[in-house]
Amino acid sequence: MNGVHDLGGMHGFGPINPEPNEPVFHHEWERRVFGVMMAAFGGGHFNVDQFRHGIERMGAVEYLSGSYYEHWLHALEALLQEHGTITVDELASKWKQFAEGAH
Amino acid sequence: MPVITKDLVSVLINTGGSTRVAKPVAPRFRVGDRVLVRTLNPEHHTRLPRYARGKRGTVEHDHGVFVFPDTSAHDEGEKPQHVYTVRFVARELWGPSAPERDTLRLDLWDDYLDPAP
Amino acid sequence: MAEHAHTAPPSDPELRIKALESLLAEKKLIDPAAVDAIIETYETKIGPRNGARVVARAWTDPEYKARLLADATKAIAELGFSGAQGEDMVVVENTEEVHNVVVCTLCSCYPWPTLGLPPVWYKAAPYRARVVSDPRGVLLEFGTVVSDDVEVRVWDSNAELRYLVLPRRPEGTDGWSEEQLAALVSRDSMIGTATIPTPAPGAAP
Repeated sequence: MNGVHDLGGMHGFGPINPEPNEPVFHHEWERRVFGVMMAAFGGGHFNVDQFRHGIERMGAVEYLSGSYYEHWLHALEALLQEHGTITVDELASKWKQFAEGAH
Repeated sequence: MPVITKDLVSVLINTGGSTRVAKPVAPRFRVGDRVLVRTLNPEHHTRLPRYARGKRGTVEHDHGVFVFPDTSAHDEGEKPQHVYTVRFVARELWGPSAPERDTLRLDLWDDYLDPAP
Repeated sequence: MAEHAHTAPPSDPELRIKALESLLAEKKLIDPAAVDAIIETYETKIGPRNGARVVARAWTDPEYKARLLADATKAIAELGFSGAQGEDMVVVENTEEVHNVVVCTLCSCYPWPTLGLPPVWYKAAPYRARVVSDPRGVLLEFGTVVSDDVEVRVWDSNAELRYLVLPRRPEGTDGWSEEQLAALVSRDSMIGTATIPTPAPGAAP
């Protein structure tokens, strides 16, 4: 698909700004997204092409404003729902539970 | 489906999952062939970047047979086919302002390519 | 999923991944202890020090270098590095005539067993957009100047081959041990955005 992920040759994204001594992960949630994705991938819940396409199907604005592990999280949630592994209602009830538990 | 337990983690990481396919599929091109990248605008998943479509290059290496992402992403099967490293001169892709000497390599599946006329 | 469009996910990724992990664990589809082990492996065991060992071996052992350039996956496995996102490896050599640089414009493909997980800039839009069309300009942003008489060769690794650059061995390192050489090899030199500077005289340990 001609998505915004197909970045090669585009202008206007500004300087590259490499971070010196960058850590492997910047936040605890990034660690968990990485680990859960690998465990789910290893468990055969989706293949690599489905995963990449899951990222590409994000909205263009969301893709460009979101970080790498936000892309992964989006694809994980989308694919696991599409494949019937989880339902949005199950997920929503967990969101509610953790949002309440956090306060 | 197997659940990845702690004991399986090192197998998962150290083995991975190659998408190479051990099937005898005939290649459509040989090293040295001039190719024209197909102009495609699929709405489905593809690993053919827009900047290479309609461009001419040269097959530099045949990596063997791999799963085809355009079908694999959509439960339409592996459609195994050869993947080639194709060499492009920078000016073919980016025009006359690109340095004459510079080049770009892209790995492309058989279904992305036609013989260059 | 249109019928569920009203159930928008919360904006906080921390909450979302907690919810997802908890749900998958309850369904016994993932094991949180395995998730911990995966994270730990990539934080402590897999990173650019692995690739540096491959490079230093190639610099000191011509037969190893020949095997590495002929069948990188196999030669890298000789040193114990293999697996996820390095299943099918290619090593490309920088020479007096060619400077190689690697990108994945469509996502962020990167050779994990030898370089670990990619840095943010490798995965972000500015690098992916520009290194294919203006590699010399991008290299300058990394402080890397490539002479006009050297070919810049960009590898856009969108398929399942993963690329590692074999940088040039710096001058002034004759007689250095493999271990001493490995300490000189930076991550960026194996992506191709950097070269390895000549060490100061007397720098050898």
